[in-house]
Amino acid sequence: MKSVSTVDSLNAQRRRAVQLRLAGETLAAVSNEVGLSTPTIIAAFKAFQTGGWPAVDVKPRGRRKQSANSTEPAAKLQESVVQTMLNSSGNTLWTTERVQQWLHAEKNTQVSVQTANTYTQQWGLAPPNLNRAARQAVQQNRAGAAQWMEGEFADFVNAAKKHRATVLWIGSVSCHDSHTLLFAQTQRGKSYWQLHPAQPNRQHYLQFVSTLSDVIGAPLALVQPSKELIALFNEDVASLTVATQIQMPSKLISSKAPNKNRQTAKNTTNTTNTTNTKLDATTLSEQSEQDKTMNQTEPTQPIDHLPSAEQQASNDDNIMNQAKQSSSALNPSAETLTHLQRLEAESIHIMREVVAEADNPVMLYSMGKDSAVMLHLARKAFFPAPPPFPLLHVDTTWKFQAMYQFREQLVKDYGVELITHVNPEGLEKDVNPFTHGSELHTNIMKTEALRQALDKHGFDVAFGGARRDEEKSRAKERIFSFRTAQHRWEPKNQRPELWNLFNSRKQSGETIRAFPISNWTELDIWQYIHLQNIPIVPLYFAAQRPVVERDGTLIMVDDERMPLNKDEVPMMRSVRFRTLGCYPLTGAVESTATTLPEIIQEMLLTKTSERQGRMIDHDAAASMEKKKQEGYF
Amino acid sequence: MHKQSEELIANNIEQYLNVHENKSLLRFITCGSVDDGKSTLIGRLLYDSKVLFEDQLSAMETDSKKWGTQRGELDFALLVDGLAAEREQGISIDVAYRFFSTDRRKFIVADTPGHEQYTRNMVTGASTADVAILLVDAREGIITQTRNHAYIVSLLGIRNVVLAVNKMDLIDYSETVFNAVVEEYQAFAEQLNIPNVAAIPVSALRGDNIIEQSANTPWYHGTTLLSYLETVKVDTDHAKQLPMRMPVQWVNRPNLDFRGFAGTLASGEISVGDAIRVQPSGKTSSVARIVTMDGDLDKAVAGQSVTLTMADEIDISRGDVIATTEAPASSADQFETTIVWMHEDALLPGRPYLLKIGTKTVTATITNIKHQVNVNTLEHTAATSLELNAIAVCNINTDQQIAFDPYEENRAMGSFILIDRISNATVGAGMLHFALRRSDNIHMQAVDVNKQIRSELKKQKASVVWFTGLSGSGKSTVANIVEKKLASMGQHTYLLDGDNVRHGLNKDLGFTDVDRVENIRRIGEVAKLMVDSGLIVLTAFISPFRSERALARSLVDDGEFIEVFVETPLHIAEERDPKGLYKKARKGELKNFTGIDSPYEAPENPEIFVDTSVMSAEQAAEKVIAELRKNGLIG
Repeated sequence: MKSVSTVDSLNAQRRRAVQLRLAGETLAAVSNEVGLSTPTIIAAFKAFQTGGWPAVDVKPRGRRKQSANSTEPAAKLQESVVQTMLNSSGNTLWTTERVQQWLHAEKNTQVSVQTANTYTQQWGLAPPNLNRAARQAVQQNRAGAAQWMEGEFADFVNAAKKHRATVLWIGSVSCHDSHTLLFAQTQRGKSYWQLHPAQPNRQHYLQFVSTLSDVIGAPLALVQPSKELIALFNEDVASLTVATQIQMPSKLISSKAPNKNRQTAKNTTNTTNTTNTKLDATTLSEQSEQDKTMNQTEPTQPIDHLPSAEQQASNDDNIMNQAKQSSSALNPSAETLTHLQRLEAESIHIMREVVAEADNPVMLYSMGKDSAVMLHLARKAFFPAPPPFPLLHVDTTWKFQAMYQFREQLVKDYGVELITHVNPEGLEKDVNPFTHGSELHTNIMKTEALRQALDKHGFDVAFGGARRDEEKSRAKERIFSFRTAQHRWEPKNQRPELWNLFNSRKQSGETIRAFPISNWTELDIWQYIHLQNIPIVPLYFAAQRPVVERDGTLIMVDDERMPLNKDEVPMMRSVRFRTLGCYPLTGAVESTATTLPEIIQEMLLTKTSERQGRMIDHDAAASMEKKKQEGYF
Repeated sequence: MHKQSEELIANNIEQYLNVHENKSLLRFITCGSVDDGKSTLIGRLLYDSKVLFEDQLSAMETDSKKWGTQRGELDFALLVDGLAAEREQGISIDVAYRFFSTDRRKFIVADTPGHEQYTRNMVTGASTADVAILLVDAREGIITQTRNHAYIVSLLGIRNVVLAVNKMDLIDYSETVFNAVVEEYQAFAEQLNIPNVAAIPVSALRGDNIIEQSANTPWYHGTTLLSYLETVKVDTDHAKQLPMRMPVQWVNRPNLDFRGFAGTLASGEISVGDAIRVQPSGKTSSVARIVTMDGDLDKAVAGQSVTLTMADEIDISRGDVIATTEAPASSADQFETTIVWMHEDALLPGRPYLLKIGTKTVTATITNIKHQVNVNTLEHTAATSLELNAIAVCNINTDQQIAFDPYEENRAMGSFILIDRISNATVGAGMLHFALRRSDNIHMQAVDVNKQIRSELKKQKASVVWFTGLSGSGKSTVANIVEKKLASMGQHTYLLDGDNVRHGLNKDLGFTDVDRVENIRRIGEVAKLMVDSGLIVLTAFISPFRSERALARSLVDDGEFIEVFVETPLHIAEERDPKGLYKKARKGELKNFTGIDSPYEAPENPEIFVDTSVMSAEQAAEKVIAELRKNGLIG
């Protein structure tokens, strides 16, 4: 275990780093030698240049006075936290946040969540990241890993999504003087754990799951890594102990009535028992109560306290009706709301204002990720009622096949009303991006078609998923954007928007476009999709797809309508789409990102902005503004 | 700083996401005049926090060569200028919002331009800001605009202000100059109500003290701009400590068993079981559930959008405010306010506007402009109307009671916008100070003999027949004939026209827009009293503005207001010119003459329409009588 460095040793390192820099060593070499990160070395060196040797030491201001490092030796602190965890009740779940709070409350030490996480790892109290381990196993081509991840595991995650259940890894791992860490972990690596003096028994497991279910407040879908799976993992995870085993695909554990559960959970003296927790099917099984390592093979036995069939059925209804969903990050916290919580609340506020004041609102739905988020927010805004407006898809007939499939599935799953409009004249004249060019195609099949659809159904307010961060001229778009009876946008004549007071008044014939996710960035959208498990079109994930390269852009050959040039041969490449439009106009990017975190990772490390994949934006510098004036979003 | 997050992204995206989902959100505004370097500062923050993508950077490089003011060097300002028009002019013309984030916070920056339209745009941007950055050119020191901006910042109730003394590189990072600027600012800021001011010496162009401590200002020991922004307290945290308020947006009734009240908590906290009061009705109940799609909550805090259900079945509708019983909001219909005017058409006292506060929209009139504030000198001046960008303290009347808190205490509960009833434009924004208690002391005297009894005695239905049209269209002539005919039929009438009103009741009024509005308002009120007395009232005034005719209409009951549009093309009216007024107006001897240099807004849906260019006055009067009979106003 790495020890927490003291201020003195840190300062020694910093001084050493400056000496080496002065001696002409490269940053990388210095970093290697003293073990400090490059930015720290640069900062130390700059400090030296400005203020000489005394300035190299970390300033007392920069490091809080009651920092863990300065008040209590690391080992003592570690012992203290271990004791606290061992002594905490069976209804207590430890998380990085709780460690942070504990440090603050008990040790008078304020650290960030990130730092709390670092400490937890240093103390050896952090569970291994199983999701990462599984993906590493896939990357390293361990036999069977990919099959399991893409087959059984993917099916399980999808089944869980349908029930709006939170997918959690669950397991235990030994640490510290033969203590055992019983833990659960979300798909994005957030861990909940309890520390037990010995191997936890079945009762411990059940209580852990029950508490977990109360805390997360959603149906749980538990994944217990089988020993075969663990054998595929890297060494750091291979010490994993599995006391109970679950057959794949495992079933759901769900919690019932939210309120009562929560109150029970708060009252820690009142023992929560398994009546609050119901298992869907008899697949949770366990090994004998004493510690068994995965290397031991023993027959498994079913758990004997399962609910009756009726209970199970009513429980199932409950899952569907309540559509409860997990998100620890979006539950109210005692402290400041997070940025996603504020963005979500703002979007919901906007949607409710529109619906309260509009005569006949509609939501423009493009099947893209922004539309997906918008629809999810609309369902939240009017819950338990369904969104009180239809969705409108302006169909150019040139969308990807996968998008059409997704659209059909959506109507089935959510029971939303979806109106599809195709410009009949465009259809008659067979306007397409190949013979007519992208500009005319977009103009007729999108801009003109949208106007037709709004006029035809008499929609007076249309929700759009445009965001201000997408493009420069959009940064000035209002949230309530007024359009003349001719659907024109007049950038010089926009209504001022103050506080959260929106003016939705208009004459008959005039319309308003409302942009509830104006203030979201691309990262916010992805992060929210990730946190809330929002279904999106699979094209966003990388897969082998047939593409041709045109003018430096990869175009997917999605159907037989795509004319190929003489020397063009479609090639299978691992690609994905950062933005979805008409397939002949949407460029793919080469990628191996198959999960949301990987997509986000790729997005953050890539240096081209999102709309560049869309060929319609290339036409001219201020083209988007021109299109918007004409009525295109 | 960024290097580290890049490493984290590459090595442990899960942990990165964990950190980033716990970020808070801060909104701020940058204020400064044209050359203070606002856009450069924002561009610098975007550039240094690496939210820019390579294609945006290369576009900026191209643009810098084409439009840039930095002789080919990167012009950060070009990053943040959006619309084509402004690109050509080299100045931004509206409010734009920019986004960037660090490990600790996501930021939304309101970027507002610094020229004449500035007040409107800055007020807009400041209305949602937690923090304001006041940019000062170190070479210039505190100038008129700085005072102007600081005043607006204090007016909009922004609690945290950064005085960013920019262009330090051009004064050799002189501590003396910096201190002088700060002292000058403090002397001025004493008059204003800004609690927290942090002064930071920066160079937006060179990046000094923006993200990293600058080696050029060793004498400065405070925080950098970015670390200030990362740690300053956000507004929702402040709002959380105020008494609970939730304006109801939407009543959610998916079925008979569920009745939820949806809204965003404007302030405070609410828990299941808390006693609440509905305002302005005053009914009370307690919270049964706090419903969200993620499951019921035990508690909700300011800034969250939730749906509440109540323990009792009480009537609550959109526009009501749910408040804690311990400290409910005030309720009133007369207020002192500060109004910022945002439209080319001036604010006219007496003209009715729509006022939207929270989720409630009511009709409001400005009864009195107490004084206008000169934003540059803070001097108070008298005003009869407010032009674009004017700021004034005004008394205001609403047609219904509204629940509110003073803006100074609660931004969400004391802010409102004004909307023009005809054009639907957002014409003004305002902040409530306090209720005027006068309204409590005037009670309507209930009388036993009412309009109905008086009308029945006269065997008629009391009403206003409102003639409108250009001067010389024949309003008075036609109205005169109509009255004679009605009198001969035994009806009780009274004709109000220029002769009997302008010389008495309204002799203090001239012909400016402001006076015309007041003229018609008084006539409307007199006509209302006469209708109450059971009379058929005929009025013959040009009454050129739609909104004032709408006001007169709103004063009487439905069906009692008959608008008669006496139409005549301008050139025919001008030929007739019975009083020689058009001639004078054409010569410029008569100002503000309707049809010449003051607009006439024709009625869109008059009850009766007569065209005196194709019919005689007698025929027109016959038509009016016939229509009145058809509408059942006379027997």
